[in-house]
Amino acid sequence: MQETKKKSAREIIESYDGPKLRIMEVCGTHTHEIFRLGIRKILPKQIELISGPGCPVCVTPVGFIDEAVMLALEHHATVCTFGDLIRVPGTAKSLAVARSEGARVQIVYSPIDAVEYARKNPKEQVVFLSVGFETTTPASCLAVKRAKEAGLTNFSILTANKTMPNAYRTLKGSADAFLYPGHVNAITGTQLCEELARDHGISGAVTGFTASEIMTALAVVITKLQEGRDFFVNCYPRVVTKQGSKSAQTIMEELMEPCASEWRGLGIIPNSGVRLREAYIEYDAREHFHLPAVQGKPNPACRCGEVLQGKCKPSDCKVFGKGCTPLHPIGACMVSSEGACSAYYQYGGMENE
Amino acid sequence: MSKKVTLAHGAGGRQTSELIDQVFKAHFANPELTSDDAAVLTVDGAKLAFTTDGFIVSPAEFPGGNIGKLSICGTVNDLACMGAKPLYLSCAFVIEEGFPMDKLEEIVTAMEKTAAEAGVKIVAGDTKVAGKGQVDGVFITTTGIGRIQEGMETSGFKAKPKDAVIVSGDVGRHGCTILLARNEFGIEADVTSDCAPLWGTVKTMMDTTKNIHVIRDATRGGVGTVLYEIAEQSNVGIRLNAQDIPVADGVRGVCGMLGLEPLYLACEGRLVIFAPKEEAPALLETLRQGKYSANAAIIGEVTEDMPGRVVMRTEIGAETLLPPPGGELLPRIC
Amino acid sequence: MCVGLPAKVVTLKNGMAVVDASGARREVSAELLDELEPGDYVMVHAGIAIARITEEDKSETDRIMEEI
Repeated sequence: MQETKKKSAREIIESYDGPKLRIMEVCGTHTHEIFRLGIRKILPKQIELISGPGCPVCVTPVGFIDEAVMLALEHHATVCTFGDLIRVPGTAKSLAVARSEGARVQIVYSPIDAVEYARKNPKEQVVFLSVGFETTTPASCLAVKRAKEAGLTNFSILTANKTMPNAYRTLKGSADAFLYPGHVNAITGTQLCEELARDHGISGAVTGFTASEIMTALAVVITKLQEGRDFFVNCYPRVVTKQGSKSAQTIMEELMEPCASEWRGLGIIPNSGVRLREAYIEYDAREHFHLPAVQGKPNPACRCGEVLQGKCKPSDCKVFGKGCTPLHPIGACMVSSEGACSAYYQYGGMENE
Repeated sequence: MSKKVTLAHGAGGRQTSELIDQVFKAHFANPELTSDDAAVLTVDGAKLAFTTDGFIVSPAEFPGGNIGKLSICGTVNDLACMGAKPLYLSCAFVIEEGFPMDKLEEIVTAMEKTAAEAGVKIVAGDTKVAGKGQVDGVFITTTGIGRIQEGMETSGFKAKPKDAVIVSGDVGRHGCTILLARNEFGIEADVTSDCAPLWGTVKTMMDTTKNIHVIRDATRGGVGTVLYEIAEQSNVGIRLNAQDIPVADGVRGVCGMLGLEPLYLACEGRLVIFAPKEEAPALLETLRQGKYSANAAIIGEVTEDMPGRVVMRTEIGAETLLPPPGGELLPRIC
Repeated sequence: MCVGLPAKVVTLKNGMAVVDASGARREVSAELLDELEPGDYVMVHAGIAIARITEEDKSETDRIMEEI
C-alpha cells in the first residue's frame, strides 16, 4: 500500500514501552469483551486497564433491590427485569430468593415485552425494573409511552436510570484516558466528549465492541497519549455520530427529568439520573405503590464502590474469591457478567496465579 | 450452601456438584458410586454399565423430538459413553391428572421408535398419576443396563496430556431449541434439537479404535460443563480453539441476542471425546460419516499445565479462561 | 454497559422491524430510526433499534489506523 508500512493496532499496543498509562474502559460490556478476547494478556506491563462504573447492575444501589423485593413480596406485583438483576443481593435478599419464596419475577428481553405482559395479564400489577444508561433509557420511555397509549393502569416502572456526564466529571483523574461506551454515545452523540477534552482535560476515544474495534481504540489512545495533548477521537463512526440519536434524545426529554441519583460506591451524584416527569407520574412505581423511602445496607466487607472508581482492584478486596464468588455474590460487581469482580474471577484466574 | 434448593441446583453447574457432594455423596458413598455417566459393575464376570435419568422438559414437545425420545436417548447415551451396548431399559411415568391421552400416546410412540433404533428393549415400567398441578404434564425416569464391550475402558478420570478433544457435532442446539420453544423472549430461529440415540455412533468409533480415553454425553450444562468436569477428574488442563467449536448459525444468533455462551447450552445428542492425538484423524473421519455426527470437530487438546482449567485461544490469538459453569442460565441484556 | 447486537432489517411495519442476526429473528422497535429500509443494518439493544450501522468494522478500523 504505502512505502513505509504502518504499524498495526496490535503492534502499537504490544510494542509500547513508554511511561505508565492508565486507561479506563467505562463500559461493562467492554470489560466483559476485553476479558473474553484475552486482550489483557497482550498488554505490556506499563498499560493498566481500569474497569469503570459502566455496568448498570453494578452501580445500582442495594436499596433499589430492596424496593423491587418489597414490590414483589409485599405488594404482590409481577416484577419484570433484565436477567442480570435477578441475583444481585439486596439488604436481606435477592430477587432470586424472593422468587423461591413465591414472588412473581419475569425475565424480559425488552421493557416493551413487560408492557405486553401487562396487557395480557390485566389482573396483575406489572413493574419493570428500569435500570441502565442513556442507551437503555429510551427503551423504558417507549414502554411507558405505549402503556399510556394503551390506557394500561397495571404497568409502572421503578427507575434507577443513570446519565454519564456528571459521572465522567466525578471520575476525572482516575485514568489518563477513557474508552467511552460506544452505545451510550450512539444515543448522546460526541459533543460532551469533545467538551471534556477541550475544557476539562479529560481525554478519550469512543469505542466499538468487536476485537478490531477495541484494539484500534487502544492503539489510538496509546498513540495520542504519547503526543501529550488532550484529545477526543470517535473510533466507532459506523454507529456513533456527532449528534447522536435525536429521536431518542427527544423521547427522553419528553418523559424524563434529571434528578440526583445514588451510584453504588460513588454515592449520590447530583444530576446523574433521570426519573419520570409529572405528566407520567402514574407510571412511576414509587408513586403508584406509595413506596416508603428505602435505605439499603450493603455488606460492609464489600469494596465494590472502590472497585467501581478504579481505586482498588477486585483482588484487593478481602472477600474477593473467598466469601464473595459468582455462586455466592456479596457485591453487585460479582453478579453481573459485566462486573469487574466477576470478570476478574471468571477470566482472571490465569493472571492471579 | 444456601438452605433451600434453588433452580441453580438443578442447572448442572457448580451448584449441582455442591448438592451432589454435600447431600447425596455424603449419604450414599460406596466404591461403585460413579461420577461418570454410568456405574461400571462386574456381576458374575460380566462387565455391565448401569444408569438412570429423570426428564422434566417443558414444553414436552419441541422441534426435533419430545420428552419420550429424550428419555430413551439420555439413558442409552449414558450407557454408550461407557462403551456399553444398551440392553434393557425400565421407565417410570409420573403423569399429571388431565394430561391428554393422545399426547401420552405420541410420547410413548417416540420411545418405542427410539428404543428400536438404539437396539434396546423396554422391559419394566411404573405409572403414577399426580393431582392437577403437582407435576407439570409428564415426568419420565428411565433406567438402563448395558454390556461393556471387550477392550473399552472409558472414564472421565482418564484424559491424558496431548489427547485431542473432539465434539461429535455443533454445540448447544437442544438448549437453544427449548429456550425458543418456551417463547419467553419472542425470538425465532430455525433450530432443531440435536436429540439422538448415540450407541451407533459409539459403535463405529469403537470399530475404528478402542484407544479412547473419555466419552461423555454433553447434556444439561452443555459441552463447557463436561470439559470442566473432565479437567477436574483427570487433573489436566484443556486448551480450546474458539474458532474450531462448531455452532449452528441460528444458535449463534440467539446466543448473541441474549448474551449466552453456546458451550453452556444443553445438548442431547453430542459426545465429547478424548483420545490420543494420533487416533483423532481416523476417529474424526469415522464420525463425519455418521448420521448424527457429520459436523464433528477437533476443538482442542489436553495440557499438563493449568490442571482443572479450560483455556480458550481467542480470535485474536490470546488465551483466556472459559468462564467456569455458573448456575441458572440468565439472559444478559444490559 | 449495553450489549448491542448488529442485525439486518428484514421487514418493517407500524414502527416495528423484524431483524435477523445470524438466523435469529425478533421483532424490535424501529421508532427511533427514520427512513429505515429492509436490508439496512441496525444496532439493537433491549428490543430497540438504537442506531443505523453504516460500515463494516474492518473497513472502519482500517481507515482509523490509516489516519493516526
